[in-house]
Order: sequence, then structure tokens, then C-alpha cells
Amino acid sequence: MWWHAIWRKPEWKNWPLIVTQIYRLGVLSVVITVMSGFSIGAVLALQGYNQLVRYGSESALGLGVALVLVMEIGPVVSALLFAGRAGSAITAEIGLMKATEQLSSMEMMGVDSLQRIVSPRLWAGFIAMPILALMFSVVGIWGAALVGVEWLGVYEGAFWSGMQDGVTFSDHVLKGIVKSVVFGLVITWVAVFEGYDCQATSEGIASATTRGRCIFVCFGTGTGFFPDPYHV
Amino acid sequence: MTDHIVLENVVFTRGVRRIFYDVSLRIPRGKVTAIMGPSGTGKTTLLRLVGGQIVPDSGRVWVDEQEIPKLSREALFDVRKSMGMLFQSGALFSDYSVFDNVAFPLRIHTDLPDQMIRDLVLLKLQSVGLRGAADLFPSELSGGMHRRGALARAIALDPKIIMYDEPFTGLDPVAMGVIVLLIQTLNQVYGMTSIIVSHDIAETASIADMVYLISDGKVVGAGSPDHLYKEDSPRVQQFIKGLPDGPVPFHYPAADFEDELLEEIPNR
Ligand SMILES: Nc1ncnc2c1ncn2[C@@H]1O[C@H](COP(=O)(O)OP(=O)(O)OP(=O)(O)O)[C@@H](O)[C@H]1O
Ligand SMILES: [Mg+2]
Repeated sequence: MWWHAIWRKPEWKNWPLIVTQIYRLGVLSVVITVMSGFSIGAVLALQGYNQLVRYGSESALGLGVALVLVMEIGPVVSALLFAGRAGSAITAEIGLMKATEQLSSMEMMGVDSLQRIVSPRLWAGFIAMPILALMFSVVGIWGAALVGVEWLGVYEGAFWSGMQDGVTFSDHVLKGIVKSVVFGLVITWVAVFEGYDCQATSEGIASATTRGRCIFVCFGTGTGFFPDPYHV
Repeated sequence: MTDHIVLENVVFTRGVRRIFYDVSLRIPRGKVTAIMGPSGTGKTTLLRLVGGQIVPDSGRVWVDEQEIPKLSREALFDVRKSMGMLFQSGALFSDYSVFDNVAFPLRIHTDLPDQMIRDLVLLKLQSVGLRGAADLFPSELSGGMHRRGALARAIALDPKIIMYDEPFTGLDPVAMGVIVLLIQTLNQVYGMTSIIVSHDIAETASIADMVYLISDGKVVGAGSPDHLYKEDSPRVQQFIKGLPDGPVPFHYPAADFEDELLEEIPNR
């Protein structure tokens, strides 16, 4: 039932719904994503430089930071931020709609709530997550350049050319994108499911929201290494 | 089978509590049928069974000669397009304005141009007295306004069947008179089969062609309002006259009150 309702190709009529959700879930997450991307990039550059400079290989700083960001930290941290911000919002919203019979009344009008509520959110997660992750990485690299090149004095040419030589689209960037697409789906899926499944009470909604996020944090940590996102 | 809605030997349980033991009733086409009964007997549950939101443990539910519990999801949604339901809680969509709430079913189920949808919506809102409140959001409405907005949304598509779950609660006498008239008009002009769940005996009796009285999971009285007024079954009389003592329970099933008061609190 779920699969059927959701993976039907979205109708053109539903595009405005998807766009609204991309705005609410994606665009409104940009600030927090950019801010943490910048600080993580800066911290990576600082600590990386301190280690590399001891071996005289600080010119590898750009490459190292870029790889770590694009493949690992970018997708994972931006996904955790997304889960915290957008995922919880989805669960709470759907839980509340359930508790106030809005879902029932929609179904009684002959409107499939899975298609109308769930599907646009899943598609929005699917589309927004990789973009957010890329944004995170790009801003992170920029932050690293600011610290590494401008402040610590790494040679600018080496910083960028090392990155250009070492990072390829198919090997690294694509892997990061695939990762974040999967994360985006898992987050919205879990969030939507928890919302639908919650007890129709205020406490039920609260615990569903928390549970959704916990599930994803475990999943996210399970699929990579992972520094605690909330101490950034 | 000319009746619009038929329930046959319906049994329904929630958890361990049996809500319906054996309910059979027929709702004639194009008439106003009232479902009455003490709070908590399952009137709302009955409407949900008709709408296919819940499935009976056994027994059958027919709407327009289609067996509701056996329909596929798509077929069920199709049947529901011809049903309107006013929820007991109203259940307007909280992030849409009143106007958009009423326009919602029209926008989804019809291809009408915006201008016509706007006119239709304003017409429906006018009939419940909320045209001036079209741009308000549900959180800005009073309880009675919320329910009137929900009523406008329920009738937006001019459904063949309309189910009103407590349409009169929270209405002042003037609004009540208007809504009674509206329900009557919808029934007489459009021939909507109407089901009213209500406790307001006088108002309901004034428009209902047929009344079913449900208590303790069974139909305990059925017939025209006049017929029920004359019926001498103690249950029916107690309910209609609103007497505190009699076979109709006011309390949710519970242990003996005296026993419970004297009972030692178990150590926690
Ligand atoms: N979701 C639910 N889970 C478990 N029990 C329920 C649920 N909804 C209703 N019930 C039980 O079903 C019984 C019938 O409920 P229903 O809402 O149909 O009553 P009602 O006749 O509409 O009452 P009222 O006139 O007060 O609205 C009640 O005893 C209630 O406790
Ligand atoms: Mg009820």
C-alpha cells in the first residue's frame, strides 16, 4: 500500500506541493547547513594544518579537507542537521494532523493522504538533501580555504590544485551525492512513518518526534564514522 | 435493495470493548435519518463504518449496493467522493484558510476554472454565514464557526450522502435555526441522503424522517419521530425525555461506586 501510493510518478498537479515542501524542508534548512558547514571546514583546516605542517606536507591540506567533506562529513552532518530540523517538523506536523482528524477528514473526501501528504515530502527530501549536502561541502571548503590559505598561509596554488587533481567527480563527489540521497530518503521516510504511526496524543507526538530522530542518528552513525553533531 | 445505506448484523469491537453486538439498519435514499443514543454508544463509530474508515469484525455494510469493507482502496476513494462528512471535531485543515478548506475538495475532484470554484465556495460559505470569515484560518475561528466551516466543506461537492456528526453542538439559537434549515434544504432541493447524529431531540425530530436509537451496542428503537414519542419502551422514553433514572446508562461501564470508594489503594 505504502509503496504503491508513494512511488507512483508524481502528477504534474502535485508539483506545487513538492515545491512547497522543498522550500519548507530544504530552503529553510540552508542557514543552519551553511553555518555548520563553514565552521566544520574551518576546524578541519586548522587541525589538519597543525598535523600536516609537522611533516612539511601542508600543501595537501586542500585535498584532505575536500575529500573528507565531500565524501563523509558533508553528507552525514548535513543529514543529521536535516533530520533535526526538517525530520522532526514532518513528524510533528503529520502527528498533529492525525490527532486532529485532519488526515481522516481528507481520506473521507476521497483524497489519498499518502499521495497528498507523504509523497511530496519524500520527493522533497530526495531532492533537497543532496543539494544541502553539496552546499555544506562547498561552504566547508571555502571555510577551510579561509583558515588555511588566508590565515595560516598555506600556498594558495597548492591548496587548490591538489584538490583539483585528487578529487574526481565519479569517484568522490558522486559517492557523496548517492550517500546523501539515501540519507534524505531514510530521514523523510522515518519521519513520515513515525508521524503516521504515532499515538494521537501530545505525548505520542513528542515521543514519535524524538524516536524518529534517534533512529536516524543511529543509522547515520552506523553508516560512517561519526563525531557528535551537536557539539559542533 | 432500494435503501441507500444498509448495515446487516454488524459486530464491531475496539480492543476488548464490544461497541456493536449486532446492528442492522437501513437508511432510505433521499431522506433524513437521525441516529441517536447516549454518549459513547458508538454513533461516530457507525459513521466511520459507513465511510469505510474502519472495518466491522463481521456483518456487512452496503452503500449504494457496494459492499464497503470489500472495496479496494481506489474504489473506496471513488465511493467517498459522493459522500460528505462533518466530523465531530470539524477537522478543518489548519494550514489552509477557511476559503481554501472549502475549495479543497473542489480543486481536487473537479476541473472547474478558478472563477467558478471561487463562486461556489462563496456560495457555500454564505449558506453557513461565514462568507466574511473566508480569509481567516481555523485557529482564528470560534468553536461554532469552525464547525460551520467544516459543514461548508462537507457539502462543497454536493454529495449524494451527507453525514453530520453532531451538527448542532456549539451553535447559538439563531445559527441553529439556520443550520436546521440548511440541512432540510439540502435534503429537499438536492435530494441528499442525510444522516444526522445528534442529541438535540427537538431539532432533530423536526427534520428527521426516520430515527434510530442505539444503546448498548444494539438498535433499541426505530421509526419516525412521532412513532418513537409514542413508543412505550422504557429505554426510548427515558432517552427522549432525558430522565436520569432508567435503563439507559449515563456512566461508562464501571465497578460499583461504593466498592471502589471503599477499596484500599493498592501499594504503588
Ligand atoms: N480510537 C479508539 N480507540 C478505542 N476506543 C475507542 C476509540 N474511539 C472510540 N472508542 C470507544 O468507542 C466507543 C464509541 O465511541 P464513539 O465515538 O462512536 O461514541 P459516540 O456515540 O459518537 O459518542 P458521543 O455522542 O459522545 O460523540 C466509546 O466507548 C469509546 O470509548
Ligand atoms: Mg461521537
